[in-house]
Amino acid sequence: MMSLFFILITAPFFVGIILKVKAKFAARKLPSILQPFYDVARLFKKGAIYSTTTSFIFKIAPLVYFVSVLMAALFIPIGSLKGFLSFNADFVYFAYLLAFGKFMMIIAAMDTGSSFEGMGANREALYSMLIEPAFFILIASLALFTDNNSFYGLFLNLHISTNLSYILGLAAIYVLMYIAMIENSRSPIDDAKTHLELTMVHEVMVLDNSGFDLALIHIATWIKFSIYGTLISNFIIQNEWPLALQIGSFFFVQMAFAGVVGLLESFRARNKLEKNPQWIIMLSAIAIVLFLTTLIITQKIILY
Amino acid sequence: MTYLFIILYAITLIYFALSERTKKFVWLLAIQGLILFGVVFFSLNKIDIFDFIFILLETIVVKTLVVPWFLNKVRKHNQLKREHEPYVPVFYSIIVVVIILIISFMLSNYLNDSQMHTQYFTIAFTSIIFGGYFIMIHKNLFSNVVGYLIIENGIFLLSLAVGSIMPIMVNLAILLDVFMGVLILGLFINRVGDTFKSVKTEHLSKLKD
Repeated sequence: MMSLFFILITAPFFVGIILKVKAKFAARKLPSILQPFYDVARLFKKGAIYSTTTSFIFKIAPLVYFVSVLMAALFIPIGSLKGFLSFNADFVYFAYLLAFGKFMMIIAAMDTGSSFEGMGANREALYSMLIEPAFFILIASLALFTDNNSFYGLFLNLHISTNLSYILGLAAIYVLMYIAMIENSRSPIDDAKTHLELTMVHEVMVLDNSGFDLALIHIATWIKFSIYGTLISNFIIQNEWPLALQIGSFFFVQMAFAGVVGLLESFRARNKLEKNPQWIIMLSAIAIVLFLTTLIITQKIILY
Repeated sequence: MTYLFIILYAITLIYFALSERTKKFVWLLAIQGLILFGVVFFSLNKIDIFDFIFILLETIVVKTLVVPWFLNKVRKHNQLKREHEPYVPVFYSIIVVVIILIISFMLSNYLNDSQMHTQYFTIAFTSIIFGGYFIMIHKNLFSNVVGYLIIENGIFLLSLAVGSIMPIMVNLAILLDVFMGVLILGLFINRVGDTFKSVKTEHLSKLKD
């Protein structure tokens, strides 16, 4: 219960920190850290407008997306704080909850009948499909490493103490960070600030959403970022630490993650659109190397 | 500790498959040289001190500094920036490198023999096969030299696999091979580049005496 509370508390500030870091490096006037709050509050005051070509799917999709992300947050532990729900192989449920939300957004985009939105939905589906093996292989390696198969048990028994497990931890953080960037349609594959429909991925999908629905989509993005930040922080937090230190380092890692995302967005050029699939499959390749490393650590493969 | 370097080496191979810029190839070769230095430093310390220092110098001076520096010179002379469309799309190359890696892991697990250090064999085998694949898919002479050097790094690791000592004669022979190979191919690339204003392999089929 506590972990859900902390995830939801950090979520709203995530985008604010990213915007602040980006503004700092672009030498612009810094926006308030609460700017995303104001934007969403303004959207909540507005009513939604629906195109006459859309059906009920378009109306329920943002809500389903929001709820699926919120439900996914229930499974995430922080250090030794248990998640709200936890059962065997809950990471599969977690992944498909997120996928379900995304599926609803994709069919809602198709529902509008706009060719631009169809194109965006196409791309989003491709990237989500390509990133899925990376996530599963990564979590499967961790499950093998710790001999546990729920998020809570997995991170509770994750002792990063030898040379090889350091590389496991570091590479896992690297892969998870880019999974987070791709899932949230951020810098190397997508640009949240682009203004050209032809190059958009996620933004073009939500062009028709307005008011209340758009606000829900924004909030879901915040929570998604916070979820992945929490997963990353679990690699750093050790469960022997006192509780206060665990929570302190959780907030620190979340802030650092938001800062790193801002930094990457400021300095890294966006990939060419045609180069995106190969770049994403690279993450799966690294995850497979991690899996082989785990096989060596757990002595499933013994090499002299 | 050697495992750490072996895994890093595997990751550099994936980046070789991913990257399309010649500058990145040179950087990756230098990084591979550093990784080989680490492998030698942590695993070969039972041999004669003179041989040990010689091999360390070989990895750090030749593989990390001289060869990349020379390749960079060749690259600048021929104004090479981006590898034009390879024969196989990068997407498939990444899958191929992963498949090679998995096959060689299974092979070394099967071969497990106390006479041989299979941990080096795994990555050496991957590196040699991938080097050959790298030469096949690129149209550019410069990239072919890079592929040759990847194979050479694989052979260096293979010589570690068959024994914990590395005979100085074998080592000298490999070193000579690299020097001659890189120097001659470098000059060759420069000549081809000057004559045809491009270093694609297809020009070589038009050569007449």
